[in-house]
Amino acid sequence: MSAATDHPAPQIQPYRTGLRPETLGLIIFLVSEVALFGAFFMYYANLRILNGIVWPGDFDIPADSTSINTLILVLSSFTCEFALLSLERRKNGAVFGWLFATFMLGAVFLGLQVHEYMIVGFTPQDESTGTIFFTLTGLHGTHVFIGLVLLLFGMIRALTGRWSPERHSGLLGISIYWHFVDIVWVVLFTVVYCLPSS
Amino acid sequence: MTAVLKPTLARCLWTAPAFAALAILITVAARSIFGMSPVLQESTLLTVAYIAGGIGFIVGIGGFDYWWTWMRGGELDPNDHSQHGAHSWGDYFKFNTDHKVIGIQYIVFTFVMFLVGGMFAEVFRSELAKPGQQVLTDQQYNGLISQHGVIMIFVFMVPVFAGIGNYVIPLMIGAADMAFPRLNAVSFWLLPVAAFTLLSSFMFGSFDGGWTGYPTLSEQSGYGMTLYQLGIQLAGASSIATAVNFLVTIIAMRAPGMTLFRMPLLVWANLATSALVVAATPFIAGAQFMAMFDREMGTHFFTVAGNGDTLVYQHIFWFYSHPAVYIMILPGFGIISEVIATHARKPVFGYRAVAFSSAGIAILGFAVWAHHMFASGMEPWLRVPIMLSTLLIAIPTGIKIFSWLGTMWGGVLRMTTANLFAIGFIFTFVIGGLSGVMLAVVPFDVSITNSYFIVAHFHYVLFGGSIMTIYAGFYHWFPKVTGRMYNEILGRWHFWLTFIFSNLVFFPMHYQGLLGMPRRVADYAPEFAWSNTLISIAAFILGASTLIFVYNMIHSARHGKTGGANPWRGLTLEWMLSSPPPIFNFPTTPRVIGGPYRYGEEGAKHAIVPEVEPATVETTV
Repeated sequence: MSAATDHPAPQIQPYRTGLRPETLGLIIFLVSEVALFGAFFMYYANLRILNGIVWPGDFDIPADSTSINTLILVLSSFTCEFALLSLERRKNGAVFGWLFATFMLGAVFLGLQVHEYMIVGFTPQDESTGTIFFTLTGLHGTHVFIGLVLLLFGMIRALTGRWSPERHSGLLGISIYWHFVDIVWVVLFTVVYCLPSS
Repeated sequence: MTAVLKPTLARCLWTAPAFAALAILITVAARSIFGMSPVLQESTLLTVAYIAGGIGFIVGIGGFDYWWTWMRGGELDPNDHSQHGAHSWGDYFKFNTDHKVIGIQYIVFTFVMFLVGGMFAEVFRSELAKPGQQVLTDQQYNGLISQHGVIMIFVFMVPVFAGIGNYVIPLMIGAADMAFPRLNAVSFWLLPVAAFTLLSSFMFGSFDGGWTGYPTLSEQSGYGMTLYQLGIQLAGASSIATAVNFLVTIIAMRAPGMTLFRMPLLVWANLATSALVVAATPFIAGAQFMAMFDREMGTHFFTVAGNGDTLVYQHIFWFYSHPAVYIMILPGFGIISEVIATHARKPVFGYRAVAFSSAGIAILGFAVWAHHMFASGMEPWLRVPIMLSTLLIAIPTGIKIFSWLGTMWGGVLRMTTANLFAIGFIFTFVIGGLSGVMLAVVPFDVSITNSYFIVAHFHYVLFGGSIMTIYAGFYHWFPKVTGRMYNEILGRWHFWLTFIFSNLVFFPMHYQGLLGMPRRVADYAPEFAWSNTLISIAAFILGASTLIFVYNMIHSARHGKTGGANPWRGLTLEWMLSSPPPIFNFPTTPRVIGGPYRYGEEGAKHAIVPEVEPATVETTV
């Protein structure tokens, strides 16, 4: 149903905002991610305020070893940023290297989380506190996993030489997402692990 | 033969089952390796099969082709327009990146779903025509009312506004397309998946918890409830993706000179709606995830036995579903402002106040969720604050109503069908709004809760509100979309039948509710017999009147009089293009030079579309 007066496709218009539309879209999407985590944090807050958190079977979650894990994830945010800095200096090999380092740190984090699940001594089926512990950390773990997959694509595209200082909104998006996952973890670690169980 | 390899619906026929089968295989293998029993657990297999099948469908239609190239590190051409625009009817059944094609796909698909949901209503209205049991068992009745609600809300009312917005908004702001055309297409194609998931639950014993799916009832229902939870997730994902797209488009792709206060009010309304969708929809996703984990994995979010809190489901659910009410009406408000200003030939009365009231509704919409729970046994201290915020939200809504009245006041009203629907909308919506204010008052709400008064209220705001605006929008932009005029006489028949019989269907429900007839029950006391018979007869006529609309649209799209570029003499940008618009919209970037509603000013213009692109300063290396 196209009219007779069709004309050729326009070039992509210049945008009025400082951000590229992909980046703007990602940031708006992350708002909805905050809301998704918000639903689970709301549930957690409700339990905590009404009943207090007592982990099932009087088990305690390992806050000390997890703080090392937190450090690992925070460190990975820095390595991710170094990848972008190397791109500005047009060092494509270093971009791949820093992305790989980020990937490895993320994978170690995920591995340690799975290990924690095995030693924590209760399961998601043990009371609502067990449920919310596993779903909050699990939801975050899923995001880390998605971040790892994205980093993998970032590395592939670094190898095929698709990132350049002029065109890298994909890489910028991956790094913003990774920072987001990191920030969520810091909040989660604070309210779930560090606040004393009452 | 090659059709099954190219991105077409034919390819979906094997990709969707293949993905589902693969997912089932992997799940069975994993379950047997980890020694879980039973290995063949039906509800788990059903869940993974539907999720993977849905992804397979999107893969089959071609939604991931571009990103697949991206993932494997291939070269991408940002100016690739090979999937853009429809050149034949077949292109409407393909993955298409043109916002105009996607808009039509949305509108047609969701309207078909409206007819399906309406048919469900006709079936259970025939059950309700007489006291006692007629055609349905109680179980079937519960399934049908639940399906009616869910289909109408999640695959008609929310996405149809996305469809109208998709078609009109890029034109209104002078853009070539939406910001993310491929994402736009994926969000459309998620809808058939969601609709299939919801409708196919009939095969597994339909979900019967009403459209709200409260636990603990939802935790005891059959497999249909799993599909309800999945279907809502899919429709919600589609809705969020579209909202992100609208927000970026409206923020970043406006034509030069289109300042925020030169935007048409439909664009303002969509901006507010999209912000609501982005911030609120994840909460229903969260609520459905929790309920699903409880069902599928035996977790204890809402089970009292495991120290769970059943009421939290309602809190999280309504934290989305109340904003969702505004998601379903705000774009309609925008449509009404467009229609009334154009057909009354007057500037919108209080333009800025209307724009800000959209934003005000969006913000206040987050503070009123618990008025759905006054009778639920929630914390008593929450009641009065929520009652006050609910009453407060009548103010921005009232601003809009007075703006429409003020716009019409002293105007030269053209009584086209579009305008008739807009005026009829004000009438019916005010009734729904007034009963809303009544329901906000806690003592009244507690005494009337779960009765037909509630049914009357939300059908007045959703049928008398949203659907009237949708019809107004359909009639208003029909000449733009097809290039032809609809039949005005049939349009008037459609309007008067819809208006009279929707009031006959929903107004008596107020009385039934006040007299204590409970909703969601297949049978009722004999004293309600005559009013229910009246409602059922009116409902059948109301349903039949829709056929006039369908005939009018189909017939006029082919044989109607040609309408020219601007039959309504509208000033906004979409009317400056030919009807239907060219494949890439504007030949040159339009320049916006004034407000959108300068009706009545001599020679006033909203924008100019230059004949040739003005010379730009080239910076050649």
